[in-house]
Amino acid sequence: MPPIGKSDLLQGTLDMLILKIVALGPVHGYGISQRIRQISKETLQVQQGSLYPALHRLEQRGWLAADWGESDKGRQAKFYRLSDKGRRQLAEEQASWQRLSKAVALILQAAH
Amino acid sequence: MFFDRNARKKKFDDRGFESEIRFHLQELIDTHLAAGMSPEDARRQALLEFGGQEQVKQQLRDVHTPAFLHTTKTNLRAAFRLMRRSPSFALAVTLTLALGIGANSAVFSAMDAVLLRPLPFPQSAQLVSLHQYNFKDKSPESELAPVRLEDWNRLNSSFQAITGYFTADVSESSGVLPEKLTVAMTAPRFLEVWGVGPELGRGFAPEEERFAGPHAMLISNRFWRRRFHADPAAVGKTLRIDALSYTIVGVMPQSFAFPDRDVDLWVPSPADAPQAQSRESTWFHTQGRLKPGVTLAEARADLALVQKQLGQQYPKTDADLAAEIQPLKQEIVGDSGRSLRLLFGSVSLLLLIACMNIAALLLARATSREQEIGIRFSLGASRSAILSQLLTETFVLALAGSILGLILAAEASRFFALFTKDLPRVEEITLNWRIVVYALACALVTTLASGLFPALRATRRGLRHSLSRSSYTQVAGRNPLHWTLIGIQIALAVTLLIGAGLLLRSFQAMGRVDPGFEAAHILTLRISASWAETADMKKVTQRIDRTLAALRAVPGVEDAATAAFLPGVPARYQTELKTAEGPRDPNRKMTAEVRFVSTGYFSTMKIPVLHGQPCPGGSPYGTALVNRSFQNSYFADTEAVGHHLASASAVSIAPAAEIRGIAGDARDEGLNVAPVPTVYWCLSAPSPDPYYLIRVHGDPMAMADTLRRVIHGVEPSRSVYDVMPLEQHLTDAYAENRLRTLLLSFFACTAVALVSIGIYGTISYLGRVRRRELGLRLALGAIPSQIVTRFVGQSIRVAGFGCAAGVVLGFGMSRLLAGTLYGVSSIDAATYLGVLGLILTVTTLAALIPALRAVRLEPTCVLREE
Repeated sequence: MPPIGKSDLLQGTLDMLILKIVALGPVHGYGISQRIRQISKETLQVQQGSLYPALHRLEQRGWLAADWGESDKGRQAKFYRLSDKGRRQLAEEQASWQRLSKAVALILQAAH
Repeated sequence: MFFDRNARKKKFDDRGFESEIRFHLQELIDTHLAAGMSPEDARRQALLEFGGQEQVKQQLRDVHTPAFLHTTKTNLRAAFRLMRRSPSFALAVTLTLALGIGANSAVFSAMDAVLLRPLPFPQSAQLVSLHQYNFKDKSPESELAPVRLEDWNRLNSSFQAITGYFTADVSESSGVLPEKLTVAMTAPRFLEVWGVGPELGRGFAPEEERFAGPHAMLISNRFWRRRFHADPAAVGKTLRIDALSYTIVGVMPQSFAFPDRDVDLWVPSPADAPQAQSRESTWFHTQGRLKPGVTLAEARADLALVQKQLGQQYPKTDADLAAEIQPLKQEIVGDSGRSLRLLFGSVSLLLLIACMNIAALLLARATSREQEIGIRFSLGASRSAILSQLLTETFVLALAGSILGLILAAEASRFFALFTKDLPRVEEITLNWRIVVYALACALVTTLASGLFPALRATRRGLRHSLSRSSYTQVAGRNPLHWTLIGIQIALAVTLLIGAGLLLRSFQAMGRVDPGFEAAHILTLRISASWAETADMKKVTQRIDRTLAALRAVPGVEDAATAAFLPGVPARYQTELKTAEGPRDPNRKMTAEVRFVSTGYFSTMKIPVLHGQPCPGGSPYGTALVNRSFQNSYFADTEAVGHHLASASAVSIAPAAEIRGIAGDARDEGLNVAPVPTVYWCLSAPSPDPYYLIRVHGDPMAMADTLRRVIHGVEPSRSVYDVMPLEQHLTDAYAENRLRTLLLSFFACTAVALVSIGIYGTISYLGRVRRRELGLRLALGAIPSQIVTRFVGQSIRVAGFGCAAGVVLGFGMSRLLAGTLYGVSSIDAATYLGVLGLILTVTTLAALIPALRAVRLEPTCVLREE
C-alpha cells in the first residue's frame, strides 16, 4: 500500500493519532513521527510541517503537556505527555471515529 | 510596553522551536548513520526529509499568536478587500464620517483649549479674579484702588497673595523710531501669584517695587526675540520708556502671556507712590492665589469681613463697597463658553445624523449581502465571528474617516485663530494627543452607533432563511427601520435648521437696524499715553484738545472728537445718578449709561442734538447732554435741560454737570442693544488715551498716513496705533456672533445634504429590492404615477413625523439661543415655516428622482431576468 500523506489524512485525524501515541507514554516529536510510521506499517507518514503545529496546538488547548528532558542518547528534547483533559478528548474522538468508520463501512458494503 | 514584552516572548518561543527542530534533525541523522550512510549524506538526507525549517517555525509562530489578533488580521484583510470591491460605498461612508468627525473634533479642540484645559499656570485652580463694587448704586464691578489691594492682601487669611495689573501703551524711544509697546504695570507679588519665574535673569527686587527705587522691568519672550534676537545679553540693558530709563532684569518664558499676548513689558507699580494713595482711584485688575484647600465661598466670606472692617475704618470711601471673587478661568472665558457649548451640541447632532445615515446605508448593503452571510454561516462561522467581521469593516471606514477628519480639524484650528481674534485662549487651540484620542473615540462610537444594529440584524436570520430566499424576490416589505432612521435624521436636521435660521434672522435684523449714528467715513485711532499723566488731568485735557484742533484743521477732515468708548461696540458703564435739584421720584432710582465725549462728538457721529447745545469747546468741565430716552424716562413731565446731574456714588470720575442739551437716541452701547437712558459727559480726556474719532471725506484708511504725520507734528514722542475704520471695529465686535451664525448654518446645510442623500439612497434601494414586484405590477397594468406617488407620499409622511419631532427639539434649541438673539423672537413663525417648507421640498425632491427611476423599467425585461 502506498503511504498516505498529510493532505489525505482527514481533518482532525492527525490530532487523534497524536493523542493516541502520546497516551502510551511521554514521547518527543521525533518519536511520535517514528511510531506513527512503524505502527501503521509505513502506511501513514506525517510531515514535520504538520506534526509540530499540531503538537503545539494540542498543547495550547491543554490536551498535551510538555517538559524539556534528556533523551536516551543524552540530548535535550521536548517530551509530550497526555493531560487528563487530553485523555477524555482521546476517548471521545476514538468513540466517534469508530461510529463513523462503522457507518462508512456499512454504506460501502451496501453499495456492492 | 506591550510590544516590548511581546517581542521578548517571541524571541523566547523561537529559541524553543529551534531546539525542538534541532533535536529532530539530530535523531534523523543518527538513524541514517546507523543505516550506514556517510556523515555528510546522512545530514543532507535528514534536511531533505525534514523540509523547510523556516516554514515550520512560521507555522508554530502562527499557532502561538493569540486568536483575537489572528481574527483581527483576517477581518482587517476582509475589510480592505471590501473597500477595494465597492470603492464608491467606502468613499461615501468615509467622507460622511470625515465631515462629521472632523467638524466635531474641530469644535472639541476649541472647547478643550478654551473651557476644559486648565489655565497655563501652576495650580491654576487656585487663581481667582477680584473686583470691588458699590452695592448701593449697583455700579458695574470695577478695578481696585492700589491701597485697597494692599489692605485686602494684608488683612485676609485665605489668600497666598493678591496682586494686580493695569496696562498702558507707551513709546519706547531708544531705537531709531519711537515704538509703541504695551506695558503691564504690576502690583507687588505679581510673579508669586502666577507661580511663574523668569526664564532668564530674575524677578523684581524689593527696592525696585518701592517708589523712587531703581527702574526695573521684565520683558516678554516675544519682545526679546523681536528686539534682541533672543540674545541672553539683553538682561542688564536699558530701554527708554516715555521719559525714563528702565533696566531689563529678566525675560519671561514664552508660555507666560498674561494679561494677554500683546504685553511686551512688566514694570512694578510701587504701592507707596504718592499718586497711589487715594482710595478712590481704581487702577488694578486684581488677581489672587487662594491658599491650598480654601474654597471660593470661604474666600468670599473672608474678604467680606475684611471689607466690612475697612468700611468702618474709612466710612467715606469704603462703606458702600463690597468684594466680588470669581475663578480666573471663568472671567477669562466669559461668554464664549456658551457659544462653544452651543456649537459643540450642534456639531454632535450633525455627527449623529451622519451615523444614522451610515446605519441606513449599511442596512441596505446587508440585504444585498444576505447570501454571502448565509454561506458563511453554513460553512460553520459563528455569529460572533461574522458580527466582528462586519463591525471591523465599519471600523476601518470610520478610522479612515476620523483620520481625514483630524486633518480637517487641524485646518479648522487655524481658521478659528484667523476669524475669532477675540476668542479667549485662541492661541492655545492646537492639534494635540487629546484631540487625536477624541477623534479615535469618535470613530469607535460611530462604529457602534452606525454598525452594530445593522450587523446584528444581518446576522439574525442565520442559516435558516438566507440561502432559501433570494432578496431579489422580496415583495413590498414595509421597511419600518429604514424609515425610522430617516425620520430621526429629519428631526435632527430640523433642529439644526431652526437654530441656524434664528441666528440668521437675528443677524439680518441687526444689519437693518438704524444705529442712530453714522459709522461710515469714520477713522478711529489711539495715541500712546501713560496713566502716570493722570496726576495732572488738566495738562492731559489740554494736550488732547490741541491734538483734536490739529486734526480738525487737516483738509479732508470734517470733524474730530474723542470718546471713552467706541460707539456701537458693546460696552456697559451703568451708573446711578442723582440731581442737585433733589430726587425726581423718591421711589425710583435714576440709572443711566454714562459716556464720556469731547466737543464735536455729536457732529462727528451725526447724532442729532434735538434741543439745547452740544458739548461746548474749550474745557467744558461740568456740562453734559442726555439722550431722548433719558428725558422720557426721568423727566417726562418737564425739561431735563438746566438740571444738574452727579453720580450717586462717592467713587466716580464724573464730576457734577449741568444738562445742556438733549441728543437723539443712538445705539452707543452696542448695535444689538436698544437705546437706553444715556448721559454724555462732556469730557475730552476721561483717560489719557481715549479713542479718537475722525470723520473724513472718502475712504477713512486713505487718510491714515496724512493723519499720522499731522499727529507726529504735534506730538513727536508719542506713537499712533489701532488705526482702523469704525466699521471695522463694529465688524470685529460681532465676529464671534458672525462665526457662530456661519458655522451653525454650515452644519445645518450639511445636515440637509446628508438627509437628502439618505432619502435618495433609501428610495433607490427600495426600488432595487422591489424591482421584480414593480415589474410585475407594471406588467399587470399599474400606472407608474401611482407607484411614484406612493414612494413620495411615504417619504413626505416620514418627513412630517420628523418635522413634528424636530420642531419640539427646535423649541429647546431656541431656548438655548434666546439670550443671543436680537430682533427676532425665539419662536419666530417665519423661521419655523421656512424650515418646514425647506425640509418638505428637499425630501420630496430627494424621493421623487429615485422613484421616477424605479418605475422607468421594462416589465418584460425584469420578468425575464429570473
